[in-house]
Amino acid sequence: MKYVDEYRDAELGRVLSGEIMATVEPGREYKIMEVCGGHTHTIYKYGVDDLLPANVELVHGPGCPVCVIPMGRVDDGIAVAHVPGVIFTCFGDMMRVPGGSGTLLDAKAQGADVRMVYSPLDALRIARENPDREVVFFAVGFETTAPSTALTLKRAKAEGISNFTCFSNHVTIVPPLRALLESPDLRLDGFIGPGHVSTVVGARPFEFIPADYGKPVVISGFEPLDLLQSVYMVLRQLVEGRCEVENQYARVVPQDGNPAALAVLEEVFELRPHFEWRGLGFISHSGLKLSEAYRDLDAELRFEVPGVRVADPKACQCGEVLKGVIKPWECKVFGTACTPERPIGTCMVSSEGACAAYYNYGRFAREREVV
Amino acid sequence: MSCTADTHCITCSDEGVPMRVVTALEDGLARCEADGAESDVMIDLVGAVSPGDDLLVHAGVALARLA
Repeated sequence: MKYVDEYRDAELGRVLSGEIMATVEPGREYKIMEVCGGHTHTIYKYGVDDLLPANVELVHGPGCPVCVIPMGRVDDGIAVAHVPGVIFTCFGDMMRVPGGSGTLLDAKAQGADVRMVYSPLDALRIARENPDREVVFFAVGFETTAPSTALTLKRAKAEGISNFTCFSNHVTIVPPLRALLESPDLRLDGFIGPGHVSTVVGARPFEFIPADYGKPVVISGFEPLDLLQSVYMVLRQLVEGRCEVENQYARVVPQDGNPAALAVLEEVFELRPHFEWRGLGFISHSGLKLSEAYRDLDAELRFEVPGVRVADPKACQCGEVLKGVIKPWECKVFGTACTPERPIGTCMVSSEGACAAYYNYGRFAREREVV
Repeated sequence: MSCTADTHCITCSDEGVPMRVVTALEDGLARCEADGAESDVMIDLVGAVSPGDDLLVHAGVALARLA
């Protein structure tokens, strides 16, 4: 397939791996965080880490929007799903995320009309087809997904569809990165930046990382060769003593992002004063709610939302995993009480979650021997 | 229903699927195809498209052109 096959060439991968081996300085440890869950998935699906020297460690960041949803927001969603007459729509993985009182799938089993959709547009279609029902879209995702929600809300408004509302859990990528960088127990040498978020926001929002924290960033694509090349580019910066934002994914990511996407985000959303992140706590200006102009389509205003706050289960160490402080297999319940079939923590729910990626590709067995 | 280890999670903020335009529809939509499956995609962010154009699609919206 065009744009895919050429980035999975095994021979080129071996060449890049050789260049990485030749670049690293013996005795020096390199810790590089891939921010995005999509990168985590690629790394373990294709064994990218097996092509890296032992002193280059990839740390998995907080870029899976399912994994950062706090349990209280799930419970709030479930409460809305149980309102008579509501059709509650969400992406598939969101249905399995445990709140304090079960999952949206459990709510469905109890009689709530919870439906999986592939895009917000599907949810709007359901609203069009069911004018006598209230259709709620439970929106999650970073700046990559938020434009899709925003464009759908614009359509709903233009068409005068009044039985469609959005329960927004959209988040922005820069505030959690800054929070991570301020975390005292975090030791990182550089970042692999999120590719498709950058398609929307561009490369400039990441310039604070080299400027304020002195760490290199390379925005990366999602194929195995993209990631290998990005690791190589981060290492070159470190070895050469450089520190800047580089764009490995220039075939898709413009320096200034997508102006049309940024404009629709500006129109439909506004920043919340603060938003809770699983494992990271409350982070200022990190969540998006519907703007004043769209308040009539805001599910949090149309329905009685309890505003639940639930502490994460004590056994679950998703927070440390999200911050890259521990590896998934170092969590006490990894692979025993917490599995993709019966997850305790959100990192085990989504295939982009670091724990699920480790578990599904059998990484825990080999790495446990190293401990 | 939920995604498996073999597929990218649709919820992931950073999933992007290369799709090819089959037909430009009215109302800012285009029928697009990937791996034999077709779906309607919002093209507000990439401007007018023609059959054969390659787009990067996320959650029902084309984020960028592939060229």
